[in-house]
Amino acid sequence: MSDYVVEMLNITKIFPGIKANDDITLQLRKGEVHALLGENGAGKSTLMSVLFGLYQPEQGTIKINGKPVKINNPNDANVLNIGMVHQHFMLVEVFSVLDNIILGIEPNTAGVLDRKIARQKIVELSKRYGLSVEPDALVEDISVGMQQRVEILKMLYRNNEILIFDEPTAVLTPQEIQELIQIMRGLTAEGKSILFITHKLNEIIEVADRCTVLRKGKYVGTVDVADTTREELSRMMVGRDIHFSIDKKDVIPGKVVFTAENVTVPSRHHKNNAVKGISFDVRAGEIVCLAGIEGNGQSELVYALTGIEKISSGKMILEGTDITKASIRKRSRLGISHIPEDRHKYGLVLEYSLANNLVLQRYWEPEFQNAGFIRTAKVLNYANLLIKQYDVRSGQGAATIVRSMSGGNQQKAIIAREIDKNPELLVAIQPTRGLDIGAIEYIHSQLIAQRDSGKAVLLVSLELDEVMNVSDRILVMYEGEIVGEFDPRTTTVEEIGLYMAGAKRNTPRTVTAASATSKK
Amino acid sequence: MTTKIKKFVQSPGLSSFFASVASIGIGLIFGYILLAFINPSMSFYGLGKILFAGASSAEKISKVLYQAAPLMLTGLSVGFAFKTGLFNIGATGQYTVGAFFALYAGIVLKMPWWAALLAAMLGGMIWGAFPGVCKALFNVNEVITSIMFNWIGLFAVNLTLSNIPKILDKISANRTVNLAAANKSAIIPKWGLDKLFGSPYMNISILITAAVAIIIFIVLNKTTFGYELKACGYNRNASIYAGINAKRNIVLSMVISGGLAGIGGGIYYLSGTAQFLVIKSLLNMGFNGIPVALLATSNPVGIIFSSLFISYIQVGGEAMQPQFSPEIINIIISVIIYLSAFSMLLKGLINRILTRQNARKEKEKVLHSSAGNRGDGIVTDAAISNKSESEGVTK
Amino acid sequence: MIILADIMSATVIFAIPLLVVALGGMFSERSGTINIALEGIMIVGALFSCLYLVSADKSGFGAVHPILAMFIAILVAGLAGIIFSLFLALASVSLKADQTIGGTALNMFAPAFAIVLTWAIQGQGQTTIIIPTWVRITQSAFGLTPGKDPNFFETFIFKNFYLTTPVVLVLLAITVFVIYKTKFGLRLRACGEHPQAADSVGINVYALRYIGVAISGFLGGIGGLAFTIAAGSGFQSTVAGYGFFALAVMIFGNWKPMRIFGAALFFALFKVIGSYSASIPFLPSFSGIKNSDYIYTMLPYIVTMLVLVFTSKKSRAPKAEGIPYDKSTR
Repeated sequence: MSDYVVEMLNITKIFPGIKANDDITLQLRKGEVHALLGENGAGKSTLMSVLFGLYQPEQGTIKINGKPVKINNPNDANVLNIGMVHQHFMLVEVFSVLDNIILGIEPNTAGVLDRKIARQKIVELSKRYGLSVEPDALVEDISVGMQQRVEILKMLYRNNEILIFDEPTAVLTPQEIQELIQIMRGLTAEGKSILFITHKLNEIIEVADRCTVLRKGKYVGTVDVADTTREELSRMMVGRDIHFSIDKKDVIPGKVVFTAENVTVPSRHHKNNAVKGISFDVRAGEIVCLAGIEGNGQSELVYALTGIEKISSGKMILEGTDITKASIRKRSRLGISHIPEDRHKYGLVLEYSLANNLVLQRYWEPEFQNAGFIRTAKVLNYANLLIKQYDVRSGQGAATIVRSMSGGNQQKAIIAREIDKNPELLVAIQPTRGLDIGAIEYIHSQLIAQRDSGKAVLLVSLELDEVMNVSDRILVMYEGEIVGEFDPRTTTVEEIGLYMAGAKRNTPRTVTAASATSKK
Repeated sequence: MTTKIKKFVQSPGLSSFFASVASIGIGLIFGYILLAFINPSMSFYGLGKILFAGASSAEKISKVLYQAAPLMLTGLSVGFAFKTGLFNIGATGQYTVGAFFALYAGIVLKMPWWAALLAAMLGGMIWGAFPGVCKALFNVNEVITSIMFNWIGLFAVNLTLSNIPKILDKISANRTVNLAAANKSAIIPKWGLDKLFGSPYMNISILITAAVAIIIFIVLNKTTFGYELKACGYNRNASIYAGINAKRNIVLSMVISGGLAGIGGGIYYLSGTAQFLVIKSLLNMGFNGIPVALLATSNPVGIIFSSLFISYIQVGGEAMQPQFSPEIINIIISVIIYLSAFSMLLKGLINRILTRQNARKEKEKVLHSSAGNRGDGIVTDAAISNKSESEGVTK
Repeated sequence: MIILADIMSATVIFAIPLLVVALGGMFSERSGTINIALEGIMIVGALFSCLYLVSADKSGFGAVHPILAMFIAILVAGLAGIIFSLFLALASVSLKADQTIGGTALNMFAPAFAIVLTWAIQGQGQTTIIIPTWVRITQSAFGLTPGKDPNFFETFIFKNFYLTTPVVLVLLAITVFVIYKTKFGLRLRACGEHPQAADSVGINVYALRYIGVAISGFLGGIGGLAFTIAAGSGFQSTVAGYGFFALAVMIFGNWKPMRIFGAALFFALFKVIGSYSASIPFLPSFSGIKNSDYIYTMLPYIVTMLVLVFTSKKSRAPKAEGIPYDKSTR
């Protein structure tokens, strides 16, 4: 109805093999702040990308102010007065604030820029909406909060009425978040309508009028924020029945294998630290899981652990040896194995054969080389052994060029290589992403076998099923800190969900063997 | 049956070979069109020379082999650098410095030929180190550094030669002295090949270079060192995670590359039939290593053949005079290089078309299934691998 | 004093080709394409403009209207450069091929093509195109008569005065204006820094990158003509590595037009010292060493290397240069 400024009706968006949006309906009222809540993979970004014209839906209609429209690209969206602030800012760092705002709709006379007119308009908009910026400052020199305000001004300069924010608070300090909330209130007071994607419950409660929850591509429901609680939102976001399908035997954890003390890791993308003074340890015979929404510091922590990134302060100790400054190979030799998040970037050399990739972490060992010459027969034997053991399927066996293998089998190859090293500490990040049930079960059984044989496993997972089933101890990470520690058997998914979304936190503390929670 | 054919067609070795052959074909056609443009009546004559002159007599054949030898080495030099992710356009400078070291060792120090060749290698290695270090430590683009050092090498060698009277010819002081007069032992032996081919030019240089090519092949494919270098070139991140020292490998790679070009210089000028001229222009031999490497997709064994091919058409080109300028061969070669930049594309294009067909089929399947996602949120293999394909995973 | 005027005059004449080619490289790289083919573009521009000059000479047109003929020659050089550079644009922007390999191919093609064409037109072995003398602008063009003993200013300005010099300086001014003060310049720079941002506001990145390369072709072609004039002995199918020198000038000038101007003068000075060291009295002459002028010939290249090494930290290349823009990677 004319009450709704945007209606997305029965939107279905499909990527090869996955329904990212399955029959979703979203309605935005004029002048409201409408939050879009969901876990990773829920489909929020996809839905907004459809609205902004980056993707076209397979099914469904979009109506703006009651009229059905087709949005084929961001230009169409702009004509309809829809604007979007992306998670990764679309700003040219060496340009000034002013130049960034006018890029694409520059006021000019016969091609010559008229910056004066632009400046006037920007100053006026800035005053009206309370968005303080320095028009002549270079984007690379200003704070992230101001960069975001520049993105907002870009939209206002183009007279956008419908404003989409994608995870806007991910990169802001607490003060900047408060400023943003004020700004959003100011925008809606002037009649703008706001959609914002988030996984943070506190902010939803504070600033949103209504909230739509998505889960696994499906629409769960829309609630009035004033009438709901954090618990209810959390339940809508993650709640489902978990099947405890894994039979784990009880193992009493042994000695501490790995300790992180006050580890701080800087972020590559913004000035905040990605990991802020974290301390925890992992013991032999246990699987510790770092749970949390993607982007809360898990990746950076693991890169620091494996040696790919440097830490700015803190210590890391593996079996009594300080590895804070150790090289990657040294850590590998001392007993760390790593199943990386991005298998194409760190895990495999795609142009190499499967055999060559399987010895990537061990090719220098006497078993595989003799005076600098690769012992091809040994490498091949080893590769075939792993292929059989871990059921790695490929077109030409050990000689297959890895680029041509399916993603799932590429992953299995990495897992085979890393687990076979028999490491003291196995670090696995999203090890089962993209795999079928059989492979997932097999990998879980491998992880548990490691644990059963007295090794330590650190798992980073975004799948709550996996987190609950596989781990012995769960550490929830939020905004670079550990905000809670749980035993999967004595907690619920909803509870963890609250911590993951920042609604609750315990004081982070160092967990030692003595204070371990009892296991039944 | 069709899937088997598809797999065969997709195999990298075959598509590379076809791409190379296609590039050569188009290059020759372009050359012919140019000939026809310039002198229509003689165009067939010219084409005939290009295609057949190299094999027309024992002397011509030995010229092809004799000129292919240094070309093989500069090709190996460029190809080796390519394999490890670097573009060694400085092969000319390394070649020149190598030649100087060889001549100095042979003429002034009176060393035998094999020692002079080693000296040549040393000279090239030193000269290759400069672009390597500049890139590894200072991140200066190796192309510009190499070009600068091409010229610095040329002038430095000219300067040094001019001031070593022993090296220079008594009569024309802008060339080095005839090796036969200065030090017979420095001349690369013939081992009877000159009689076999009936040409005084023929010597064992082609055998030496073929041996070097095989050594490089072994190093690249059978040693841990080669394993590390290639990994660095293919995927620096993964090689870092494997514990490989990327900076060290960049320098080593350029040093070896330089050494190969250096030996090339030695091979050519220790033949006894060539004298080094003190002139102000860069030698072509180094630059011609680039098409040799590209045609063979940097495979050392392939380089043996591509260097023979390039040498063959060069001999043909020289035979086209006076009707046509031999530079037409360079035009053909440059067209071949330009096309080789596309051949990788052609391969990628074929792959992408096939992947897109798969993706479309998957989409259809999901759209018409009521299940949609599995309740436990697991996506299929195809989804992830297709997504990463479209995310531009290629380097 | 006259020597100083000589040196200054020579420096300017050598700096002009460096300047204009480096500006061309800047346009290309600022839009996101590394242009390794500047060397080839220079040769092609020089080739066609020199051929034009010869034909204008033969027809007598040139002697009568030298400045007009020269102006046409400059346009010919620019046009030839644009057409040649489109091959690079095709490979790099549309087909997303390796930019270095495509550029190298063009660099090999150009001198070979030049020799073949010159051979075909002028006859076998005649591979030098001699530039007619009327291209040099003398005092008489301005109605002045040269004095018997030329003074400082007369030497500085008129010893090596060609139309290319003021034309290039005008192009420099235009460049500064276009890059910083126009809508086009803003969008071009955006494509080289953050093509996704440009795309997200509706800018056609592909079109702008093509234009960037075409402009580098235009300027590079003119630079080829300017170089041939500076070198003084006619067109010989080479530009002695100036295409790469210009890249070094561009890097040293941090991709900014006025700084490129300064860098061009800096490098040209060393080149002049290198080429004319014998006639410059206050330089040490290394009389004991034969062919010692090679020491000075090497100087510009060594200086270039040192400069590149020491400024590498502060170097601020356009962020997205060399990376083919692929819409699907949004």
